[in-house]
Amino acid sequence: MKKRVLATLMSVSLVAALLVGCGDSGSKPASSSTDSASTDSASTDSASTDSSADTTASSGDSSSAATGGDYTFEIIVKSYQSSYWQAAVTGVNQKAEELGVKVSCTGPNAESDIADQVNMLNNAINNAPNGIGLAACDQEACLDALQTAMDKGIPVVCFDSGIPSAPAGSVYATIATDNYAAGATAAENLYPALKDKIASAGAPVRIGEVNQEATSESITSRGLGFIDKFIELATADGKSVAVIGNEYYVNNCKDKGDEASADIIIEVAVPAQTTVELCATEASVILNKADTIGMFGSNQVAAEGILTANENLDVLGTDPATSILAAGFDAGSVIKGAITSGKMFGAVTQSPLAMGQTTVEVLTKIANGESVSDVPTQGYWYDSTNMDDSSIAPNLYD
Amino acid sequence: MGEVILTMKEIDKSFPGVHALDHVSFEVKKGEVHALMGENGAGKSTLMKVLTGIYKKDSGTITYEGKEIEFHNTREAQDAGIVIVHQELNMLGHLTVAQNIFIGREFKKGIVIDDKKMNEEAKKLFDRLHIDIDPAETMSNLTVGKQQMCEIAKAISHEAKVIIFDEPSAALTEAEIEELFKIIRDLRKQQLGIVYISHRMDEIKVITDRVTVMRDGTYVGTLITEECTKDDIINMMVGRVIYEDPKEHSMVAPNAPVVLKVEHLNAGKMVQDVSFELRKGEILGFSGLMGAGRTETARAIFGADPKESGDIYINGKKVEINSPEDAVKCGIGYLSEDRKRYGIVVQKTVAENSTMATLEKYMKGLFIDKKKERKVTEEYVKSLATKTPSVDQLVVNLSGGNQQKVVIAKWLVRDCDILIFDEPTRGIDVGAKNEIYKLMNKLAEEGKSIIMISSEMTEILRMSDRIVIMCEGRKTGEVSIEEASQEAIMNMATREIS
Amino acid sequence: MGKSNASNKSMISRLGGQKFIVLLVVIGLIIFFSAISPDFRKYTTFMSILDYSYYIALMAIGVTFPLITGGVDLSIGTGLICYSLTGGYLIVQKGWPVGAGMAVALLLSIAIGLLNGVLVAIMNLPPFLATLCTCMITRGLGSIFSKGFGISWPTSGTPGSWFRSIFKITVNGTKIPLGFLWVVLLVILMAFVLNHTKIGRYTIAIGSNKEATILSGINVKFYHIMAYVISGFFAGLAAIAYSAVFSTVQPGTGAGFELEAIGGAIIGGVSASGGVGSVEGSLIGVFVICLLKTGLPYIGLQANWQQIITGLVLIGAVLIDIMKKKKEQA
Repeated sequence: MKKRVLATLMSVSLVAALLVGCGDSGSKPASSSTDSASTDSASTDSASTDSSADTTASSGDSSSAATGGDYTFEIIVKSYQSSYWQAAVTGVNQKAEELGVKVSCTGPNAESDIADQVNMLNNAINNAPNGIGLAACDQEACLDALQTAMDKGIPVVCFDSGIPSAPAGSVYATIATDNYAAGATAAENLYPALKDKIASAGAPVRIGEVNQEATSESITSRGLGFIDKFIELATADGKSVAVIGNEYYVNNCKDKGDEASADIIIEVAVPAQTTVELCATEASVILNKADTIGMFGSNQVAAEGILTANENLDVLGTDPATSILAAGFDAGSVIKGAITSGKMFGAVTQSPLAMGQTTVEVLTKIANGESVSDVPTQGYWYDSTNMDDSSIAPNLYD
Repeated sequence: MGEVILTMKEIDKSFPGVHALDHVSFEVKKGEVHALMGENGAGKSTLMKVLTGIYKKDSGTITYEGKEIEFHNTREAQDAGIVIVHQELNMLGHLTVAQNIFIGREFKKGIVIDDKKMNEEAKKLFDRLHIDIDPAETMSNLTVGKQQMCEIAKAISHEAKVIIFDEPSAALTEAEIEELFKIIRDLRKQQLGIVYISHRMDEIKVITDRVTVMRDGTYVGTLITEECTKDDIINMMVGRVIYEDPKEHSMVAPNAPVVLKVEHLNAGKMVQDVSFELRKGEILGFSGLMGAGRTETARAIFGADPKESGDIYINGKKVEINSPEDAVKCGIGYLSEDRKRYGIVVQKTVAENSTMATLEKYMKGLFIDKKKERKVTEEYVKSLATKTPSVDQLVVNLSGGNQQKVVIAKWLVRDCDILIFDEPTRGIDVGAKNEIYKLMNKLAEEGKSIIMISSEMTEILRMSDRIVIMCEGRKTGEVSIEEASQEAIMNMATREIS
Repeated sequence: MGKSNASNKSMISRLGGQKFIVLLVVIGLIIFFSAISPDFRKYTTFMSILDYSYYIALMAIGVTFPLITGGVDLSIGTGLICYSLTGGYLIVQKGWPVGAGMAVALLLSIAIGLLNGVLVAIMNLPPFLATLCTCMITRGLGSIFSKGFGISWPTSGTPGSWFRSIFKITVNGTKIPLGFLWVVLLVILMAFVLNHTKIGRYTIAIGSNKEATILSGINVKFYHIMAYVISGFFAGLAAIAYSAVFSTVQPGTGAGFELEAIGGAIIGGVSASGGVGSVEGSLIGVFVICLLKTGLPYIGLQANWQQIITGLVLIGAVLIDIMKKKKEQA
């Protein structure tokens, strides 16, 4: 008997351990883990709030990329069938046509088919191209292949996700979203909409931020990017801001301020686990407060948590006078639907299209013998007015 | 006794390497209680398993109610009216009495189980058996005795014509055994055929009409119980004469030092103010009925259960024993009454079991010195005359008596001077019993001190130098072997405590 | 007679006792959170608690059966996500009718339940191991079916979103937690199955003493399998509830859901060693977990503390179970 009790307890703890181990695999397409991107906060200002740009991020104008001769590049995406990666492939092909290089795109059926992808990478190396663009499914599985590529002198450019432990010199550049800047983009678009309300408010107002966790680099960068930008904008208008809630964000933002005297309180909530439901509960707590005027969910799960909470509360909308304005991150049919129907004010999307374009551009530069460096791509703000633009729509996966 | 209801003829059954049944014959008549006896491994259980369809026979015939039959599983046998009341109670503790009795053939209304009707039917059964049990009671709330009654009621509810009792009295108190016998006599009157398997010679004499003895998978013979003596049966069982005489005198020197002294030990309801002394080279018998608190006393001394108060002195020095680990350090070894649960690890080898309590002695750095382990174990196998093909044999493959020897070896290896034997010969056949007795005497001669808890009066009288008697958690008497008599001990073991 | 009656009563009070205590805990938690947080007292919060409880409650109803056999089903959490992804994929990507997608999700859940049952009852794998394997399998399957991407069942307002109103309807602007009605009805149904049908009776019998149940001539393998099929099927129902209440189902998630369901069942009086338990107790236990999950953020407790407190409550429940067992043996 006792044994069985013990076994059950053990099982509970074991699975709990498993859980912790895979807790942060929450929103797959959104999470991009590059270390180069977020540290580069200087690029924040260059992030364009107006999303008409189909330029390829901040890597410079296309004119500087030399038009290549007979270059052939192999591009490997994480999964060939999803719209997110289709957008990346579209970007690759656009730029290839523009620069007159040959590209060959492949990718496994699902992001979980790691072995397939490694095979594709090895095949690509055997084809001896002028360069390889890789969005690795797994940070470890490709290391041997990268070594081989380096030995054969084939330059590799990583996009979407970096490979921090890659053999030194094998990866020439990493092209991934600058999460800190992307978070700031949300603040840049949410703040103007709330500006009048903040200015006219008699009592302090509250901005909520839901982050699915406080550990992964991409999520924390976005969360802090939003907070820091919001503080910057509000301070410029003469308002004081205090940050409360989750210790990590309070302690790592630029200025946590003083809650007692602040005009604006940014309350950061992190759920105990990365489930939609707990994000929703945390969002409910903030949405229920009478002084809340704005919300930001820093990835798909958190944004959908805010929307789920709103199912019962019905407080979100696009008019700051009567409702709370919510900004989200990433896409998916739920967030797109909420923006169309006016439940969500807008959201920031990453740009696989731009990443695809930049990848080809950087590869071409390398082939031309130019020196390259990591390229952080920015997030793009979208709302009901520009979702269908040709520059935005391809980035919005279902 | 009426006509023959069941005949098994020339039943033969082999397992790989073992000829388990060698042309065995056996019959049961209506209205008789037929004892099936034999040492462990004689083939009684195998024979009954062949009868009830658990094993398939190689050859031979089974005739039941005039027809030759062969069952393929217990269910078929049950349906035909042949049921076993198992030694280990097969009760579902979380279900009610009635639910247990009718498990597998519930009364139903549509798909809904009709518990009300089941309770009524169970009540009728109990009335027929003159048992007073509430059918709606949860099984685990009943005493073992009552559970056994339910098991019997369940057997009868199958419209049984032949009931096999497999060591039914093993877990019962005297009073419960009496009640069991009453029921068995009742069933006999109702012309059922009853097979009674037991090791307890006294019971055989009291309850059975005929005795069939088996030995080593063969049929030895059938006797009319009234016309034979205990010794006749034992001789048939072991094929040799065994004396079960009481010890005449204490073997302990009068000036032997006290090695263990227990004073005012209290541990729950079952151990109340127990004090006694154990001397060097002494075998101290602990007698009493089931539930007298003897095992509980032993476990409290050994540190296996928490004690509330009381002092323990070893060689005159007061010791603190709060766990078995402490006890072992003090040189106390405990041989549990339930070997399989506490004594040995059956899926390990003889050597591994023998050295389990002393593994640190056989460590070479981080590794176990298998060679040394084997050597020491071999010595003990030899000195204890343990019958095992090698020290690498898995303990599960040994007989009960030899398993017990492995447990003894475990504590001897540990150099324990005080050994507590709790029911050392339970479930062990007569021949092996003798060897265990010899071994215990030898250990005492060598200066080891032994506490022997036993429910068998003959064993107590045969082995002990002195006897402590317990009843309902208290020590109710202490006698030297010279003064001891069965009647005196029984008297103290059943004394009412006011 | 008199004596056995008395002990009978104590048995009832012991079984009903834990349920009753847990019900008091539920009420106590509601009062406590309401007293501290005014927002907690709102109807919308009440709606949220119910919304987020359906899938755990449904899983708990199902997993009560393997738990009572003395086993466990760890595959229900990742299973839930797998069934939801599969059904959602067919509906959203392949254009199947919602009803057909649901049916496929339920059929898949029964199949996985059957697999668990066969592994445990026929292949004799320890339930912990068998269902841990299917836990991993379903996690992988879910990702494959969804190509590694999150899937949203039709959102409210779009055609095909009728299934969301199974769990919540709006009448004159007021939201009615219809799902709670179904959960209660299913609890009543399964409590009846547990206490008054062969499946339930033999589930308890297997948990009490499997050997004895076999010797009673019962087809133990079949009923043992059934316990896991029930668990799987209710994970399938939970998948539908989850898809209806939440928007997007993310592959790779779901591990941990089962712990809340199992934890709830154990708090509600299911013995971790089998043989004892009730469906209604499991439901009440689930509400302890759900109230903690919702209430603790409302009183401003940070994430890590929420988990610590939930863990402590679980330890308490398991300890009660062990102490009960000790008392019984004494």
